[in-house]
Amino acid sequence: MVTSYEYDVLVMGAGLAGLRAALAAHETGATVAVITKVHPVRSHSNAAQGGINAALTDRGDKWEEHAFETVKGSDYLGDQDAVEILAQEAGQDILALEHMGVIFNRNEDGRLGTRRFGGQKRARTFFVSDFTGQALLHVLYEQIMKARLPVFEEWFVLSLVKDEHGQCGGVVAFEIRTGRVALFKAKAVIIAAGGLGRVFEPSTNALICTGDGIAIAYRGGAPLMDMEMVQYHPTTLRGKGLLLSEAARGEGAYLLNSEGERFMEQYAPNMMELASRDVVSRAEQIEINEGRGINGCVLLDCRHLGKGLIQERLSQIFEEAKSFANIDLTEEPIPVCPGMHYMMGGVKTDVEGRCWDLAGRWRGVPGLFAAGEAACLSLHGGNRLGANSLLDTVVFGRRAGRCAGEYAKTLPQPRIGDDVVKDGENVIRMIFARPETDDTVARIRHEMGRTMTQNLGVFRDQEGMALAQQTIAGLRERWNRVAIHDKGQVFNTSLVRALELDCMLDCAETMALGALTRTESRGAHFRTDCLHRDDEHWLKHILIYHRPGGSPQLDSLPVRITQWEPQVRVY
Amino acid sequence: MKYAFFPGCVSRGGCPELYQSVKQVYPRLGIDLEEMTTASCTGAGVLQEKDLRLGDILNAHTLALAEQQGLPIMTICSTCQGVMSQANHRLATDPGYLDDINRVLAEEGLTYHGTTTVKHFVWILLEDIGEQKIRQSVKRPLTGLRAAPFYGCYLQRPSAALGFDEQPARAQSLETVMALLGAEVVDFPGKTRCCGMPLITINEPGSLQMVAHHTSDAKEHGADVMVTPCPLCHLNLDGLQSKAAKHDRREIDLPILHLPQLLGLAMGLEPKTLGLNRNLVSTKSVLEKLDVA
Amino acid sequence: MLTTFRIRRFNPESESPQPYFEDYQLVTERSDTVLDALIRIRETMDESLTLRCSCRGAICGSCGMRINGHATLACKTKVASLASSGETIHVEPMNNMPVIKDLVTDMAGFWEKIRQVQPWLQPSGPEPEGEYLASPDAMNHLTGVMGCIMCGACVSDCAALEVNADFVGPAALAKAYRFVADPRDGSSSSRLGELNNPGGMWDCTRCMECIEVCPKEVGAMDRIMTLRATGIEQGVPSTCGSRHTEAFADIIEHKGRLDEPMLAVRTFGLGNLGRMFSFLPMVLRALVRGKLPKSGPLFRPISGVDRIRRLFQRAKERP
Repeated sequence: MVTSYEYDVLVMGAGLAGLRAALAAHETGATVAVITKVHPVRSHSNAAQGGINAALTDRGDKWEEHAFETVKGSDYLGDQDAVEILAQEAGQDILALEHMGVIFNRNEDGRLGTRRFGGQKRARTFFVSDFTGQALLHVLYEQIMKARLPVFEEWFVLSLVKDEHGQCGGVVAFEIRTGRVALFKAKAVIIAAGGLGRVFEPSTNALICTGDGIAIAYRGGAPLMDMEMVQYHPTTLRGKGLLLSEAARGEGAYLLNSEGERFMEQYAPNMMELASRDVVSRAEQIEINEGRGINGCVLLDCRHLGKGLIQERLSQIFEEAKSFANIDLTEEPIPVCPGMHYMMGGVKTDVEGRCWDLAGRWRGVPGLFAAGEAACLSLHGGNRLGANSLLDTVVFGRRAGRCAGEYAKTLPQPRIGDDVVKDGENVIRMIFARPETDDTVARIRHEMGRTMTQNLGVFRDQEGMALAQQTIAGLRERWNRVAIHDKGQVFNTSLVRALELDCMLDCAETMALGALTRTESRGAHFRTDCLHRDDEHWLKHILIYHRPGGSPQLDSLPVRITQWEPQVRVY
Repeated sequence: MKYAFFPGCVSRGGCPELYQSVKQVYPRLGIDLEEMTTASCTGAGVLQEKDLRLGDILNAHTLALAEQQGLPIMTICSTCQGVMSQANHRLATDPGYLDDINRVLAEEGLTYHGTTTVKHFVWILLEDIGEQKIRQSVKRPLTGLRAAPFYGCYLQRPSAALGFDEQPARAQSLETVMALLGAEVVDFPGKTRCCGMPLITINEPGSLQMVAHHTSDAKEHGADVMVTPCPLCHLNLDGLQSKAAKHDRREIDLPILHLPQLLGLAMGLEPKTLGLNRNLVSTKSVLEKLDVA
Repeated sequence: MLTTFRIRRFNPESESPQPYFEDYQLVTERSDTVLDALIRIRETMDESLTLRCSCRGAICGSCGMRINGHATLACKTKVASLASSGETIHVEPMNNMPVIKDLVTDMAGFWEKIRQVQPWLQPSGPEPEGEYLASPDAMNHLTGVMGCIMCGACVSDCAALEVNADFVGPAALAKAYRFVADPRDGSSSSRLGELNNPGGMWDCTRCMECIEVCPKEVGAMDRIMTLRATGIEQGVPSTCGSRHTEAFADIIEHKGRLDEPMLAVRTFGLGNLGRMFSFLPMVLRALVRGKLPKSGPLFRPISGVDRIRRLFQRAKERP
C-alpha cells in the first residue's frame, strides 16, 4: 500500500529558513508540514555563532548603510532590490524574534545590544553570546511546537514530483527509521535544506550539509545561480575545519602572522581584521603562501580582550578552543586558516522565494520555492557579510513562507500518480542491487572534498578548475557503480550517505562549471589567471540548468542595480 | 594530624553506629579529632532547595569556625562532604559572593577567608594517613570478603567541586581503601548511583526500587557486603532494605556496613564496639565469613 | 596509538535481535575525538555501524551516547583522555530511551516531555512596539540555560527517570526554568503549578548525574532546585517534597541540626498516617537495636543555636 500525505505547503529542511517559512505559511491559514532528514534542532543553523544584522533607525542606524555595505561586500554581484528588502525588513524580524523569546544580549538600559561585524562600519549585529544561531533555532522550534505543526523528522527526500503541467506537486521521500517510501503531495514546496559545505574537505559545515535541497531542486528543473561563489571563512581550525566566530574579531581580536605583525594593515588599512571575509581570507592565504604563516595558519589573538569578556561574549569559542585545540584563548593565540564556510549560490529565486519567474525571464518550476543557504536571490553575490546569513534565513524564509501559503490557497491539489513512489523505491532498490566492488562511498566523498579544496579554494585558475571538473566527472562514474554493504531497512545511514554523495556530486559539478565560466575575479571567486573584476562582461549571474542525460546548460541574468553603481572595493 | 570533626546529624541520629565506630578507629590511625559542637547541619541539599544562599551562610559559618581553630574539617558523611565542598567551591570562585556572605557573618564577629579544607574520612585515609599506616593498622585482613562499594552521589558529583581534577584518586577512594584492608572489591554499575533516599517521601516505590536494584545487583556480582561512606545511603540501603525486598518481591539480605565499621573489623576490633549489632540487616554473615565470633 | 572500542551493537532486523558488543581496533591520533574514531570505523571497517552525528563541534546535540558508562557527546570526548595507556573504550547508546539501532535511540519520548512544559514564551499583556526591556543580568543568566542543545545526556543518566518513567526529567525541567526565570514570561505561576504535580519538579532525586554529564554546563539539577525554591516562595500547594523542605529548614533553624523523626512526621503530614504506619516495622527494629533517635522536646538543640537562628533571620532579610 502506498502511503501519501497531503499539505498545502511542504517545507524541506528545518533550520532557521525552513522553520521561519513554515510559521509564515501557517499564518496564512495554509496547511503546512516540515520534512527534514534530522530533528530540527540538529540543523546546521545552530552553528551560526556571531549574530544577526539589522540597522535599527531608533538606534541612529540607517538601512541604506547596511544595504550599501552588503552590496559592497558582495563585490556588486548582489541584486540590489533583494538587498534593499533585506536591510529594510531586518528590524521588524529582529523584533519578531525577540518577541518570540530569543534571549538577545542587552545593554545596561535593558534594550537590545549590538556588536561589530566584518565589512560594516557600525555595530549593528544583534547577538546571543556566541551561539546566536542555536538560540534562534531553538526559539523557532518552540514556536513550531506551539503551533503544533507536523514535522516529519528523519525523512530523506529522494525527488521533487511535478504534475503533467510541470507544476510542483510535492516530494517523494523515505523514512530513515523504517525505510518506507512515501509521497508528500503539496501545492507548494519550499526548499530550505541548507548549504553544501561537505562538498569541500575540510569545511566548517556540519556533516549533514550535503546540498540535498539544491540538488533535488536542480534535478527537478530549477536553475542554480552563482554556484562559483564559495565563502572561505578567515578563522577556522586547521584539520577538521571547525569555525571560530567572526565575533572574536568583532570584539577586537587581532590576526597576526609568524612575525607577530597585524598583517591586515597591509591589506585593509581602514577596516583591518573586520574587512569583508573574502579580503581577509585572501590576505591570510598570501601571508601563509609567502612564508609568514605557522604550519599553514596565522594566529588569532584574543588575549587583550580579557578573561571576562571572552567568557561572557565568546563562551562557545572559548570552550571550542579548549576542547578541540587545547588552547586557552585568554592566554594563547590560536592558529587559524581560511576554510570553506558558506555557499553564496544556490537555487535561483525571486524576492518572494519563488523558483520561477513571473515575467518569464528565466525558466523554473511553478510551485517551487527556496529560502536560506539553499537559495540564491542573489543577496550575497560574490561574498556574504558576517551576520547576514541568519538575517537572510528569517527575512526571506518568512517571505517565501507567506508567498507559498498564499499561492497554495489559489490552487487545487496537483494530480500526482502513485507510481512516483515506485520510482522512489526503485532508486533505493537499484543502489542495494549493485554488485560489490572495492570502492566505497566514503572514498569517493573524500576525493571529491580534496579536489574541490585544492582546485576551487581561495585562489583558483583555469587548469585547476578544469582538473576538478574532470575529476568530478570520474567520481560521478564511480558513484554510479559503488555498492553499499548494509541493505537493511531500519536506520540505514549507509544508504543516506550514498544518496547525499549523489547530491553533492551534482553540486560540485555545477560549482566547477560556474567557476570555469566566470573569467574574472570577483568577491570570493579569485582567479590568479584573471586578476581583476570585469564589470563590463561579468556584472551578471551565471545560471545553470540540469539536463537529464546531458551536460548542464548555462544561462545568465544581469545584476539588478537600484542605487549603487559598482565602485572600486577598498576596505 | 588534627581535624575539626564534623559528625553530621545522622551519625548522631539514625546511624549512631557510625559515630560509635569512628570513635573506635580514629585513635588507631594517629589522628586527633576535635568535635565541632556549635556547627549547624549543612542543609544536606534540602535546605538549599529553599534558599541556596542561606545554606551557604550556614556552611560558611562552619568553615569560619574551623578556620579560626586553624584546622581542616573531617566529615564522615558523603552528603555533608558534598554540600560543604560545593559551598566552599562557590565561595572560593566568586569573591563578590564571599563578601556578601561575610557581611552576614560579620554581625557574629566572624569572617571566612576561604582557607578551610573539608575532607571526608575516606579521603583523609588515603591522602593524609596514607597507605602504609592503614596497612599497619590492619590486624585482621578482610581476606575472602567480597565487598561492594557504594559512594553516595555527593561524594562523586559534581566532580569539579569535589576536587577530582587535583585529586583524581578520590573517584576510586573507597575501592582503594577496601582493597588495602584486604577485601576483594566487587565492582558493579550502581556504585556511584543514587541510593534513593531523597525520593523516599515523594516517590517511595521508586526509592525502594533503587535500594532493591543496587543491593541485589551487588549481590549478583558476588558481594557479601556493601560498604558506604554515607549514612544517608545507609538509612535507605540498610534501614529500608527489608521493605525494598518486600516491594520487589525478592530476598536480598545484603549487610550494609559503614566504612569505619569495615575498617574497625580489619583492625581486629570487637563487632559490638563498632555497633555492628545495630545495623538493621544482620551483619552475622560478614562476621562468619571473617571467622569473628 | 592503537585503541580498542567496545561498541554495543543492535540490529533490529537480524534474526534474533539482541544487543551484543563488538570490538574494533584502530590507530588513533592525539587530536581524535571518539566521534572521529567512530566515523573512521564506519568508513574503513564496518559501514553498518550506525550513529547520529552532524556538527562535530558540540552544538547540534546529535551524537549523545554513553562512553565508559556516562552519557556525553562523542564529538566532545577525546580518545586520549580515556585511553592514554591503551584502555578499552566502551561505547553504548543512551539510557532511559529505546534503542533503534546500534547507537541510535528513539528520542520521541524525550521530546514529548519537552512539549509537556509548554516550552514557548507566554508573555503577559500586549506586545510592546519595540523589544521587551529586560536587565542584562537576567538575560545573561538565561543564556546559561539556553545553552542546552537537547542532546539527551542528562535524561540518559537520570536516576529518577530510571525508576519513574512519568518523571518529566532534567532537560524538560531546565527548559521550564528558562521560561519561569524569563522576566518577559507571564505564566510562571501556572508553570510552577503544573510542575508541582506528580512527575514534576519534586520528583528529582538530587543525584547530580545531570550536572555531571551535561556537555554544555546547563546544570539542570541546579535549575530544578531553583524551581522548587521559586515554587515555595510563590506558595504552590504543599506536597511531600515541599513539606520536607520547609520542615527541614524549620528544624535546622530551631535546633541547629536535624530531628529525623520529626522531619518524617511533618513531611508526611497527618493526611498520610497510612504511609507513616508502613514504616513501623523499620522503626520497631531501630528501637530494638537501641537506635531510634530522640525527637521533639527530647531532642536537644546544638549549643549556640541562637547564633544559627540569627543567621536564618539575617538570610531572610537579604537585600
